[in-house]
Amino acid sequence: MKKATPYLLLLPALLFTAFVLGYPLVQNLVNSVRDVSLVSGVGGWVGLSNYANVLDDPLFLSSLRNTLIYALVGTILALVIGLGFALLLNMKIGRITTIASFLYTIPWVISPVVAGFSWKWLLNDHFGIINYWLSSAELIDAGTSWLGDPQTVLACVIFARVWQFYPFAMVMFLAGLQAIPLEQYEAAAVDGATMFRRFFHITIPNLKPVFSVLLVLGVIWSFNDFNIVFVMTRGGPMNASMVLPVLVREFSFVFFDLGKGSALSVMTFMLLVTLSFLYLRIISGRESA
Amino acid sequence: MVEIQDWNFGGRPRLMVWLRQRIESFEATHPGIKVVQSDKSWNMIREILYTSFSTGTGPDVVNTHANYAAEFGEAGYYYPVNKFPDFDSVKQWFVPELLESTRYKDNYYGLPSSAIAFILVCNRQLFDAAHIAPPRTWSEFRSAARSLTRDTDGDGHIDQFGLVLMGGDKGGFAYRMVPFFYKAGADFMSDDLTRVEFNSPAGVAALTLFAEMYQIDRSITPGFLAYGHSETNDLFCGNRAAMAIEGPWVRGMVNEMSPGKDVFVVSIPVPDSLLDQYETLPTLQDMVMYSVNAHSRNLEASWEFVKYLRNEEADMAWIREDLGAVATTNFAFNSPEAQNVKDLPLYINELRHARPLPTHPRIIALASNTFTPFCQKAIVGELTPKAALDQAAREAQEVIENTK
Repeated sequence: MKKATPYLLLLPALLFTAFVLGYPLVQNLVNSVRDVSLVSGVGGWVGLSNYANVLDDPLFLSSLRNTLIYALVGTILALVIGLGFALLLNMKIGRITTIASFLYTIPWVISPVVAGFSWKWLLNDHFGIINYWLSSAELIDAGTSWLGDPQTVLACVIFARVWQFYPFAMVMFLAGLQAIPLEQYEAAAVDGATMFRRFFHITIPNLKPVFSVLLVLGVIWSFNDFNIVFVMTRGGPMNASMVLPVLVREFSFVFFDLGKGSALSVMTFMLLVTLSFLYLRIISGRESA
Repeated sequence: MVEIQDWNFGGRPRLMVWLRQRIESFEATHPGIKVVQSDKSWNMIREILYTSFSTGTGPDVVNTHANYAAEFGEAGYYYPVNKFPDFDSVKQWFVPELLESTRYKDNYYGLPSSAIAFILVCNRQLFDAAHIAPPRTWSEFRSAARSLTRDTDGDGHIDQFGLVLMGGDKGGFAYRMVPFFYKAGADFMSDDLTRVEFNSPAGVAALTLFAEMYQIDRSITPGFLAYGHSETNDLFCGNRAAMAIEGPWVRGMVNEMSPGKDVFVVSIPVPDSLLDQYETLPTLQDMVMYSVNAHSRNLEASWEFVKYLRNEEADMAWIREDLGAVATTNFAFNSPEAQNVKDLPLYINELRHARPLPTHPRIIALASNTFTPFCQKAIVGELTPKAALDQAAREAQEVIENTK
């Protein structure tokens, strides 16, 4: 009985997790191989034809490309900016550091929906403050439409994503920086290492585990990010900023083809699991070497 | 005590106040029925309704676009109100053309609530300053838009445009293109709903008009692809745009944002060769209807409530107050009050000739996800109008075939 007690105590939590995570996952998998429509209801088994329909859809490839760019570019930029701010904050320049660390984290605590709407208005072609500043400085023409131009819209949503994610990276990097033993820097200084050499040979190697975790988390979160793109552009104009989570919504709730939407969700999930697995294998391989 | 749930989607603030008053008086006159009403946004209305109806949690009474009759009727979510014994007498209340918009195949899936005819709204201040009259033909429309596209502060950049379009809302954009297609004589689909027809020569001509205005005249706001309702309203009320394609809500909307600002509300311009039919060519009709959930446990009480909301007395509120749409009953249309309300005679005339989108179960998806993106590609010059409409028609036809 004593042996069973821990398991019994864990059981409610496990059942709850199975209900809120396992059930939707399995149901989604089942839906992806059935003909499920919100209009006509649940039909029969259709094998992999929902997956074939997704692959045949001209929007799939362009959305996949956009999603990869959004996730990779957005995450890498956020990491670079987050590292930069973390290095500045790690200098501990009196009270400025405390105030700055509070200010820099504000984007992180703002809801993505609020952030999306804010950026939408900041980037408005006629009334947005960004256009006002840039056109006042004669850097752009007045009325330049960032969100209305298929050439620039993806960069805009990436920018908003970077703005939201860099504080998290900054906080993580700052924790990593503060965990580096000072002796390493002192020894390097005694040996005459320059600031750049100390950065590349002490700071960066020590931050590698943080960088790995942030990269994996950032790519996964960006891959699944629906809010910012939906609020700012809904995938437009002309699908130029369509990403996979928004496309899942289009399939499921515009065309009401839940089977196809589920198939795309499963494909996205498998892709992310594979990417995460490969990446973690590479990292663990390097560390053991 | 019977309790019924009523979901009200959208509407101007005054409408919500009116609705609450109406519910109070309904409950006072029907002591055995309690109405629990909640307001919801038009945004994502279909998602909300489909998920709630498909899981059996939908409301007893709901107001939606009339063109949902096909989708939700076909899906078995809306009750065919013609099955209520007194429907034949109730249907006499309504303007026949409007009542027809609630029908799909042999059934009526709701009672008309309020109607919309799409019109052209002109910024009077800008038109008067330029001594231009509101346009009636496409040539006049294009010429007015060109004349009103200006650099008003002399900094070398255009800051006032002839026309603002709402390209960021895919459904809303389609609703603003289709009136020009209809005025040109193009159909969206064949009468038997089996063929897409918006790529006819008349449709291509309508789309070419916008493509030339954007690419050659540069008289359409360059950033229109990102605009939703708020951006178009801001540009129009802020004198950055001289014309917009809107509906009966426009005067109230302008008054709210810019009190005292005046506008011309006129019919959608027609091709030059059809000027003699300016007052009779159809614009796009949209309508809101009140429907009853087919799985409601309180069908009779719901029907009583819907009738109370839509009877002739209730419909007069749409004449007396600015609720953002137009009445739907013969009684209100023919009332002396209707003749004295600004723009109302125009809307009534337009509604007598207007046509809704076809009653195909996939019409919203077709309009938003095939028609709109290809029209936009043509306007910005990625495709020619003909190539864009042909490609859109092919994709739409595929959706129709799959629906079968």
